[in-house]
Amino acid sequence: MTTRAVEAWTLEPLVTFVKEASARLVLVMTSAGQVMAQHGFSRAVDVMSAAALGAAIMASTDEIARQLAQPPFAALNHQGDRHGIFLGAVTTGRGKLVVLVVYDLDVSSLGLVQLFFEQLTADLQAASPKEGVSKQVLAADFERELSDSLNTLFGR
Amino acid sequence: MADEIKTLSSQLAQDPDSLVFLRLGELLRLKGQFDAAHRVALTGLERHPHLADAHDLYARILADKRDYERAFDEWDMTLRIAPNHVGALKGLAFLYFKVGDVGQAVAHLEAARLHAPDDPGVAQALALAQGGGSGPARAAAAAAEELAPPAAAAAPLEESRVFAGLEGAQEGLLLLDAKGQVLGGALKEPHGRDVTEAVAAYLAGVSHEAGRTAKLLGLGRWTGVAAEGQHGHVHLTPPAGDALLLVVRDRAVPMGRLAIIAQRAAGAARRWLEQQA
Amino acid sequence: MTAPPYGPALDLVTRVRGVRGAMLVSGDDGIVVAEQLMEGIKGSAVAALASSLAARLRRAMEAAGVGASLFWHLQCDQGGLLVVPAPSGVLIVAVAEPDVNVGLVRLELLRAAEAVG
Repeated sequence: MTTRAVEAWTLEPLVTFVKEASARLVLVMTSAGQVMAQHGFSRAVDVMSAAALGAAIMASTDEIARQLAQPPFAALNHQGDRHGIFLGAVTTGRGKLVVLVVYDLDVSSLGLVQLFFEQLTADLQAASPKEGVSKQVLAADFERELSDSLNTLFGR
Repeated sequence: MADEIKTLSSQLAQDPDSLVFLRLGELLRLKGQFDAAHRVALTGLERHPHLADAHDLYARILADKRDYERAFDEWDMTLRIAPNHVGALKGLAFLYFKVGDVGQAVAHLEAARLHAPDDPGVAQALALAQGGGSGPARAAAAAAEELAPPAAAAAPLEESRVFAGLEGAQEGLLLLDAKGQVLGGALKEPHGRDVTEAVAAYLAGVSHEAGRTAKLLGLGRWTGVAAEGQHGHVHLTPPAGDALLLVVRDRAVPMGRLAIIAQRAAGAARRWLEQQA
Repeated sequence: MTAPPYGPALDLVTRVRGVRGAMLVSGDDGIVVAEQLMEGIKGSAVAALASSLAARLRRAMEAAGVGASLFWHLQCDQGGLLVVPAPSGVLIVAVAEPDVNVGLVRLELLRAAEAVG
């Protein structure tokens, strides 16, 4: 499976993570759900849904933590019969990113994903440009930006 | 072909754990008996859920039955187990061509070429996809041809040459490369059944895994894995590079003696690998 | 913090000279259940990597017809990992110096596995 990135600096950390953690699917996105890199997705519609749902889950748990006067949850994991789903946040020079990982329990484990997520966090922090948060997508440009990103993510 | 199908069916009936289901499923697929091939592949997968070749076979049958979505999942699973599996890379390239995603198809074919540089079908499909032919339709056709079974495997290496003169050279010593391909030796389980290919497939990646564990835990370079099983003992050694040597003996052989046998076999394997370089 | 019932089981292993730490690891998840480690050993990494290697070895050993793994030892030039899988699926793991008494560690790991159940 191929790994693709909208912002080139995310590619190498993601490729390393996928290999070491034996992840099946990975999405790196902003906390608003804007996708920056992906691995393993074959259809654009799946990326859009996963990004929207992942960002929404992170936003919900951040709010729960806020209402409990606790710091935000560092990561969430859901263990199914055959797959695990892991959601974690990374603070980079480009702002807060959310990483969604789907892994097969046959070939990986929560421990491996957690271990190499730590490395992914450090690699993304080291690789991220330091000039500040990426520009906000204006409503008028949103559709074009989305289309451009998806084209990049699927090599079109 | 019919005779071979009959023989393989009877072998599989006698020993349901046997890996002959791979050959049987493929023959049935080639004969167009997709439902029978489907049953054989599924039964095999139930018994060998971690065998990459079993997922690859099942994917090819699903693709023949035009169940492309499930074929995609199976090839994807094949790559999870064996990331460089050329059959799965070609299969996924085929599916991407089918949906018109030439970029992804080419990426998969390029990965396949990396691991099978002499595969003429991969080169041909790549040339077509990259503008050498009349466009994606022909590229898809070339990639589709790649789903045909590979030519008969090259004659196996002379196993005796690797471990010549060593005890258990034909049933308890196995030399593999990093992809789980057998370089020499053979392995039989306690009842005498040949399990060489299955064990090799499961051991693919162990060398990387052990090396990574040693490195990340600050333990230096890994030199071996000794393991005690319910019915026997095994010893794994990296004789050179990414190659892996497996020695299996029954429980009567003490672990210390097994380590000495492994050391001698590793020496023989190292010399043999140097000669091949 | 180590849950009280696991402390004595881990003590059996860590008291052996040359053992730098002992852990109980969830075999399926690769996460730490309990640990007694010297400073500088990262428990989460030991747990994840030991369980991953254990899973690969288990499949290969079952395919080879030698049955389930009772004990395994990853030997490295600067130390090693020694592991006994308990029937519950928990792995009892020791991180050791290269010159440790492997036979003694193995015995204590088996005793710890019995205690853990």
